[in-house]
Amino acid sequence: MKNEENLAYFLNEAKTIKPRDLEKKLRVAFLASSTINGFEETMRVKCFQKGIECITYVGDYNQYNQEILNQDSELYKFKPDITFLILDTRHILGEHFFSWHAVPHDKKLKFVEIKINEIKKLCDTFEENSESKLIMTSLQIPSYSSYGISEQREIQGIKEMVSELNNKLFDHCRRFDTNHKIFIYDFNEFISKFGEKNIFNYKQFFSGDIKISTEYIPKFVNELMGYVYAILGITKKCIVLDLDNTLWGGVIGEDGFDNIKLGDNPIGHSFVEFQKRLLALNQRGIILAINSKNNFDDAMEVIQKHPNMILKEDNFACVKINWDNKVGNLQEIAKELNISLDSMVFFDDDPLNQEYVRESLPSVLVVDLPKDSSQYAQIITEMKEFDILKITEEDTKRGPMYLGQKKRKELESKVGDFDEFLKQMNIVVNIQKANSFSIPRISQLTLKTNQFNLTTKRYQEEEIGKFSSSKNKIVECIQVSDKFGDNGITGTYIVEKENAEEWIIDTFLLSCRIMGRGVEEIMMNQIVEKAKLSGIKKIKGEFIPTKKNKPAENFYEKLGFKKENEFWVFNTDNTLKKPGHIKVERND
Amino acid sequence: MTEKLYQIISKVFNVDSSKINDETSPENLEEWDSFNFYVLLDEIENEFDIKLDLDETLEIKKIGDIKKIFTKHGVKAE
Repeated sequence: MKNEENLAYFLNEAKTIKPRDLEKKLRVAFLASSTINGFEETMRVKCFQKGIECITYVGDYNQYNQEILNQDSELYKFKPDITFLILDTRHILGEHFFSWHAVPHDKKLKFVEIKINEIKKLCDTFEENSESKLIMTSLQIPSYSSYGISEQREIQGIKEMVSELNNKLFDHCRRFDTNHKIFIYDFNEFISKFGEKNIFNYKQFFSGDIKISTEYIPKFVNELMGYVYAILGITKKCIVLDLDNTLWGGVIGEDGFDNIKLGDNPIGHSFVEFQKRLLALNQRGIILAINSKNNFDDAMEVIQKHPNMILKEDNFACVKINWDNKVGNLQEIAKELNISLDSMVFFDDDPLNQEYVRESLPSVLVVDLPKDSSQYAQIITEMKEFDILKITEEDTKRGPMYLGQKKRKELESKVGDFDEFLKQMNIVVNIQKANSFSIPRISQLTLKTNQFNLTTKRYQEEEIGKFSSSKNKIVECIQVSDKFGDNGITGTYIVEKENAEEWIIDTFLLSCRIMGRGVEEIMMNQIVEKAKLSGIKKIKGEFIPTKKNKPAENFYEKLGFKKENEFWVFNTDNTLKKPGHIKVERND
Repeated sequence: MTEKLYQIISKVFNVDSSKINDETSPENLEEWDSFNFYVLLDEIENEFDIKLDLDETLEIKKIGDIKKIFTKHGVKAE
């Protein structure tokens, strides 16, 4: 095993982490029914490597019930952002783990009911007392049944019972769908991936009640990291792909259309499988792009005409097939798609290209792709960087939206004059108050938008939910469409009704796909119009600079706001310019 | 064998291998705690391709004891 993957490395590395003022901070609590030494150390190191300052709290051994049920517990005082509750089947079942066969049927039913109610009570109490997300492990289905091979013939064998407990738990947690606070990590996924014989080490269990062996702790924590990325909104948005020996076997320029390997033979199968995984990610909202050194026509012929090509031309939001250098192409792709380099993942089989991009663009995640293509599908399915807590409608529509974007660019370069281009776009902005459908998306926008974001305040769904029901706040979002399609909900603002004279802009952001077409002016117009109707004299806004929000830096000034101390102020006696090429609708 | 063993110990406990000898124990090496001892045993099993019995692991009070177990398991001296 590589050094950087084993627990000794994480334990020692954790000691060297000094508090540093990192932009991203996260408070993580661990609760468990067994020994979890090593978990928090590993997570702190993994977070630190991703530029996240992780502060942890570990509940006392097997005290999770008291920690959750007692409202004054240290857990609640710690105020975690994420709480991991690691439960295990041996603990929950007690003696029944060994002798389930001896329990009378009516007692079995009663036992399941009692246990599920205990766990539900933990969830509900936690939800009432904490703002934190709770990620709970499901129960491991035992690989051994005391019924032996007759397990499946029993009315309720131990495996069926544990599955039933899990299903009831999944069901219960779906009820928290409105605020997305409680999630289940399916522990059986971990077991089926790595195997019970590896994960459960009897010696370590007898010696120290260690239920995930020291060798597998880093792998388990890696599974949990998916939640960290998702909650912080730092998941990756775009996969940039090389073509030769990455999407198909062989080199199109040398081997030719008929001889590249795609389907029909073992090597070809591995590329088809890889493409199928990519397609699924694309359908779920991950953008795909191509960065390949090739003759454009040769490579496009494969994409358009090869019978075994899974990914089609329309799956790629941006295509760079040329003889330019790959780093320049990556920068171009980022620019054209209006996404930042740190939201991109680069797949290229050539180690030299990998190294070159790693050196030149350290914020791009370069996948350590081996020569052996049979590993590609596995590598991509094991990546945690694409996980999001809840797939929103916008995510599933993102592919077509970026395709629309590609067509917009084509129109723009055809028309030439930008104002004329805007007129021809037929942009419609629909403005609506936050509601239960848009709240998850609004939160996602605050978490993910970096460039056109005046204050970069990050809000979880429950916070947006609270704001939207508060009398002192306005939470609205905008949906933008044009002749090339619907861009979905792509902008939002939160206004604080400070007093009878003044409103303060708490949040004002627009997805970078939309910026620069007058939509931001329309949004500000809405705020001003509302303010005038309420007799408000002044609208105040702050610009909080970050590394990435330079595109929004001069926004207030451009609109005629005047600088007063740290605020930019607009006097509502003045009129705000309003772009004429946009049609505005309100959906109230 | 000694050199490889000390390398593993030095890596797991994050101490210089010059600090390690047969008499090294939790009493005289503060980096040795009850938890990273499990990590050490796991590394030793993997690196030397042996399986220690539970009672053997419980007998280890100092590094010299590990060497005794090695002799029993036929791990070559060099």
